[in-house]
Amino acid sequence: MTTRHFLISTWDWNPWVIAICFTSIVIYGTRHQFHFTRKAGWLLAGLAVFFLTLVSPVDALANGYLFSAHMLQHLLLLLVVPPLILLSLPSTPVSVRFQSGRWQWLNWIWRHPVATWILGVGGMWLWHAPALCNAAVTNEWIHRLQYASLLLMGFAFWWPITGPWYSQRLSPLAGMIYLFSACLGCTVLGIIITFAPVEVCSIYLHPVDRLGILPIIQDQWGLTPAKDQLLGGLLMWVPACLIYFCGILGLFAHWHGDSGNSAVVPQSTSTKASKEQSHVR
Amino acid sequence: MSKAASFSAAIETLPLGSAYQGLYSWVATVDHKRIGILYLLTTLVFFVMGGIEALLMRIQLARPNSTFLSPDAFGQLFTMHGTTMIFLVVMPTLIGLANYLVPLMIGARDMAFPRLNALSFWLLPCGGLLLHFSLLAGGAPAVGWFSYAPLSETAYATTSGVDYWTMSLLILGVGSVAASINLIATILTQRAPGLTIRRLPLFVWMIFINSFLVILALPALNAAIVMLFIDRHLSTHFFTPAHGGSAVLWQHFFWAFGHPEVYIMALPAFGIISEVVPVFARRPIFGYEFVAASTVAIALLSFGVWAHHMFAVGLGHPMDLFFAATSMMIAVPTGIKVFAWSATLWGGSIRLTTAMLFAVAFLVQFTIGGLSGITFAVVPIDWQVTGTYYLVAHFHYVLFGGTFFAVFAGLYYWFPKITGRMLSERLGKLNFWMALIGFNTAFFVQHFLGLMGMARRVYTYPDLPGWALLNMISTIGAFLLGASVLVLLWNIIASLRHGEPAGDNPWNAWTLEWATTSPPPAQNFDRVPPIRSRRPLWDLTHPENPDPIVGGIGACDGFELEKNRIGIVSFLITEGVFFLMLILAYLYYNNRAMNGPTPTGMLNPQRTGIYTLCLLASSFTIWLADRKLRAGKASTFRWLLALTIVLGFAFIFGQGREYLRIFHAGILVNSNLFATTFFTLTGFHGLHVLVGLIALVILMGLALAGDFKEGRIEAVKSIGLYWHFVDAVWLVVFLIIYLRLLL
Amino acid sequence: MRASFSPIFDPASSQAAAISDLFKLVLIICAVILLIIVSMIGISLIRFRQRAGAEEPRQRFGNRKLEIIWTVGPILIIFWLFALTALGMRQTDAPGNREPDLIVIGHQWWWEIRYSHTCVVSANEIHLPVGKKWLVHLESADVIHDFWVPALARKIQLIPGQTNRIWLAADATGTYAGECAEYCGAQHSWMRFSVIAESPAAFDAWLREQETSAAIPSSDSTQDGLKIYQTLTCINCHSIRGVSVAANAAPDLTHLSDRQILGAGVLSNTETNLFSWLKNPQAFKPGCYMPNLKLTDAQVGALTCYLESLK
Repeated sequence: MTTRHFLISTWDWNPWVIAICFTSIVIYGTRHQFHFTRKAGWLLAGLAVFFLTLVSPVDALANGYLFSAHMLQHLLLLLVVPPLILLSLPSTPVSVRFQSGRWQWLNWIWRHPVATWILGVGGMWLWHAPALCNAAVTNEWIHRLQYASLLLMGFAFWWPITGPWYSQRLSPLAGMIYLFSACLGCTVLGIIITFAPVEVCSIYLHPVDRLGILPIIQDQWGLTPAKDQLLGGLLMWVPACLIYFCGILGLFAHWHGDSGNSAVVPQSTSTKASKEQSHVR
Repeated sequence: MSKAASFSAAIETLPLGSAYQGLYSWVATVDHKRIGILYLLTTLVFFVMGGIEALLMRIQLARPNSTFLSPDAFGQLFTMHGTTMIFLVVMPTLIGLANYLVPLMIGARDMAFPRLNALSFWLLPCGGLLLHFSLLAGGAPAVGWFSYAPLSETAYATTSGVDYWTMSLLILGVGSVAASINLIATILTQRAPGLTIRRLPLFVWMIFINSFLVILALPALNAAIVMLFIDRHLSTHFFTPAHGGSAVLWQHFFWAFGHPEVYIMALPAFGIISEVVPVFARRPIFGYEFVAASTVAIALLSFGVWAHHMFAVGLGHPMDLFFAATSMMIAVPTGIKVFAWSATLWGGSIRLTTAMLFAVAFLVQFTIGGLSGITFAVVPIDWQVTGTYYLVAHFHYVLFGGTFFAVFAGLYYWFPKITGRMLSERLGKLNFWMALIGFNTAFFVQHFLGLMGMARRVYTYPDLPGWALLNMISTIGAFLLGASVLVLLWNIIASLRHGEPAGDNPWNAWTLEWATTSPPPAQNFDRVPPIRSRRPLWDLTHPENPDPIVGGIGACDGFELEKNRIGIVSFLITEGVFFLMLILAYLYYNNRAMNGPTPTGMLNPQRTGIYTLCLLASSFTIWLADRKLRAGKASTFRWLLALTIVLGFAFIFGQGREYLRIFHAGILVNSNLFATTFFTLTGFHGLHVLVGLIALVILMGLALAGDFKEGRIEAVKSIGLYWHFVDAVWLVVFLIIYLRLLL
Repeated sequence: MRASFSPIFDPASSQAAAISDLFKLVLIICAVILLIIVSMIGISLIRFRQRAGAEEPRQRFGNRKLEIIWTVGPILIIFWLFALTALGMRQTDAPGNREPDLIVIGHQWWWEIRYSHTCVVSANEIHLPVGKKWLVHLESADVIHDFWVPALARKIQLIPGQTNRIWLAADATGTYAGECAEYCGAQHSWMRFSVIAESPAAFDAWLREQETSAAIPSSDSTQDGLKIYQTLTCINCHSIRGVSVAANAAPDLTHLSDRQILGAGVLSNTETNLFSWLKNPQAFKPGCYMPNLKLTDAQVGALTCYLESLK
């Protein structure tokens, strides 16, 4: 089998994925009269990444062949799809309904960015515990659980940064620290995986060649298990950090983009101002 | 202030801001202006020393097969030159300038922690003297400023030079970190009303971001040199491959510090240029937001590029490629800055004072250095030119032609503010031209020497065609550069005595430091002008055409910006990085089977688990104690504090017993790499617990004496945070070492 | 020795040629960027010099479009450079699962050269058949060194505890200079070596000759020399196949006289130089591990005679 043949033939047209994408587009479209706005663009981008992650040959590779492909899926589901989808959600009109009643528990999310941070970073670490990592490859239900949990934890993590309700987002500086510390968290994991001589996910050491593509992977592409783990660690580390980095720069741009709106310093700060004045003196 | 008043203020060149008089007032000062001046004077002395070391080397290299210096002397010279210039000159000069200028530029009265500021300064001459003491104690270190293992281990570096190097760097590192914590706290809490973060002068913004780099990078160095020191004195083998250690790990650890370090030396220089160029082009900086954002980008990316110093190590193509990618990426924000500065010139009204001349030279020279840096990011090219004089040329272009020229620009720009007198423009221009010609002559030819095959750190070379000529040219350039420094010194001395009085704002600049006298009074400002934009003084002098208002209210919503909290959190960040390095070393070495003691054989997780619970409980009790104190329940507070101390001592007792048991089994720190990493990690942790206990006991004493003023409650919170940190680290250590998670 | 201004730009192997071409392209890109910036600055300095009595110029704060252009532009250039880098690196990928053709072991301050599948051990000089690609294993006996022969191959460190691998090949006959490029102690400067590329026939002849044991001394002086070699501690560090092979702390001397340099480059290998070296090596390479044995002239003379006979 050649690479080209591989790229064409190993698409996994998962009906669930297709259904989710289709339904999402329909629901969103009907709410917005199918107007193509920038937010719609985010939705399409997010769904496209979601679709490709679970349907394209990457999925075939991740299913027991390449640790690095598995990492790539993680990254995309945890760090790329959630923020894109969140950016597409409409802001104010919905928020009113969500402030009261049975959706009030959502308030918990942005009041506790520490918790969402732990979910986001912890989720990454969790699925790399060797036992869980192997289980996800062998057991189909745990595999689905893994995908679902990654998405959910991703949504939780990105809510304080790109959540639809601007007033509940973290302040820019706080957001930058939130993302930077998350970047550190995944850097440490990436470093450990890259440099560890032992296998994180031992099942990838001896792939079962269901599709007959092992020769391409190991001989044509030169991806031995050792190189594969190295690559996986590097993916976890560098591209993941770059995503956080883009997030930080985005926050910065947003912050500065908020051009000076008031000529007069508001009342609440003038007391602070006079306190600081006496301090300066 | 009236002309007469500012004139007389200028005559009295330096402010007397303390109760003491004369020389002792300088020793005892906590005034940031004096401390800044002390920094600059001290670094000037080290600069001359480092320069002489360089000139001696250039004499040796002027001719092939020269015998002017012995190879050992040469080895000591290049090690000392590098170490001195980096740790004793460039870093402290930039910190010294920041010290002097940041409070003034933000309209503050002093730094957030004046006494900590003084401590930071005094650690500089202390560390410098300790480093140079090695010359009297068997010889200076001769292993290069990055001290690769195993050359720096006792088998090959037999004198105590490396030990002095490690000890002095530890001391200097503490000073740098303390200064940076101080700067962060100052910039976040001491700004004048109206000076929001988005209105910060770029110099202050870059110092702010730079300070984060310092607190994250220096601890990595500290961890590495602590491990080296332990290797050298306790016969362990962190970095001796002959006994299972790893020479490559030293490189990783060092460059994890080393690369952010070069940005630490560059960012403040960028800040200086961002102040000088606009003033002498009579335009605001072009694209403030992009320049500010690019600073953040550089800071973030600088942690992801270190292995580009290791492309020749053979890490494997995937690693090399990833680091090549990040190294290329970091060129983009730097390029944005260069374009921004150049665009500021375009359409301006350029006045070529000496400061501006140095700034313009910086632009070109730093660009050359940066571009040669890009060639290094292309891995195959690096494989040819790393370790050669092409590399020496690159880093001198960025560090001298870049950073140091920026420092000269800043000096000519801010000297009037610091001393009340102008530096002579005539001598300044002489200084500039000599420096420009000298520097470029000395270092441009070195690019060619590298391409011709001359390796770096060679004390002599064979008489190959062209080598002798180019080396001689380089030496002549170096001497011209040295002479230019003499002109600078002469300028400084002459201007201090006869310089033209400067007045408040001789350059018609726009940031706050120019809104007070030259030199500023002890309290810095009698009155801070209203601040609505990035250039308050422009707004004052151009009421018909003020700057657009930027950055609404104070930027940190939902943040408790209390300086002690910032101080302790920054400190904990440095400690976190330190422990992270030790943990990484543990994971690295214990990932494989080895002879000798093992975790399962040596340790008892159940017993240690009980002591761990004690420690975790003590975290809970101190948190509760803090709450009770705030609620006014002093007696409960005292009981809980006492309980915390008891639980802490229980933990120490448990650890002590464990250590004794292990020693009795004949296991020492150098038994094998497991023992080494175990003792290092738990030992440093235990040390931190002890320090915490001392702090708690002192607190207990104060509590019993009823001496709890308002500030002390803040102290309880801070010490509490430290204690929680120490417990959190233990939790991680326990999980990794005792419960063998991750392994 | 092949003389060229810059061996990096005068490559003699496909690996080095690929790097040289890449380097030239990147330098051109850098030069263009530098030119743009220097022009911008230069023109500004001339056109926008402050005129006497001029008012403040128009205060511009930025131009978002321009700023985006000079962000995106460099990013595109970076993508291009990265692609070039990745492609350039493919030339040098040396596999890990093959037997090496050559083993180079770095010592303070000399190079031990071992030719695989033979008993030939030499020092500071590599012979190579033209046109064949050799896999070289690089190790270190003490500290970190760096193997660099710019006309032929990339640089690679020799790290104790680790084996590194590179390809080494030469497309044309000639002698190529090499050196150590990582500071390894006092005599790092004199840790040079040469790579001598010969036609395959000449190389085979040379190798066969090297495989023979040391020449047996025939004349009086050479026999005296051998006796001195055996009795005056030389055998503790050096080895001569056929006489003593126990030690390898110092270069193998079996065919010393055939080599072009002494002391890893500090002297060329002539009889007078050998005499002076043996009389006091510390005078030429202070700090190296060969001590001044304080031999008499007669002893040195005999030793020189013997060593000269080891062709």
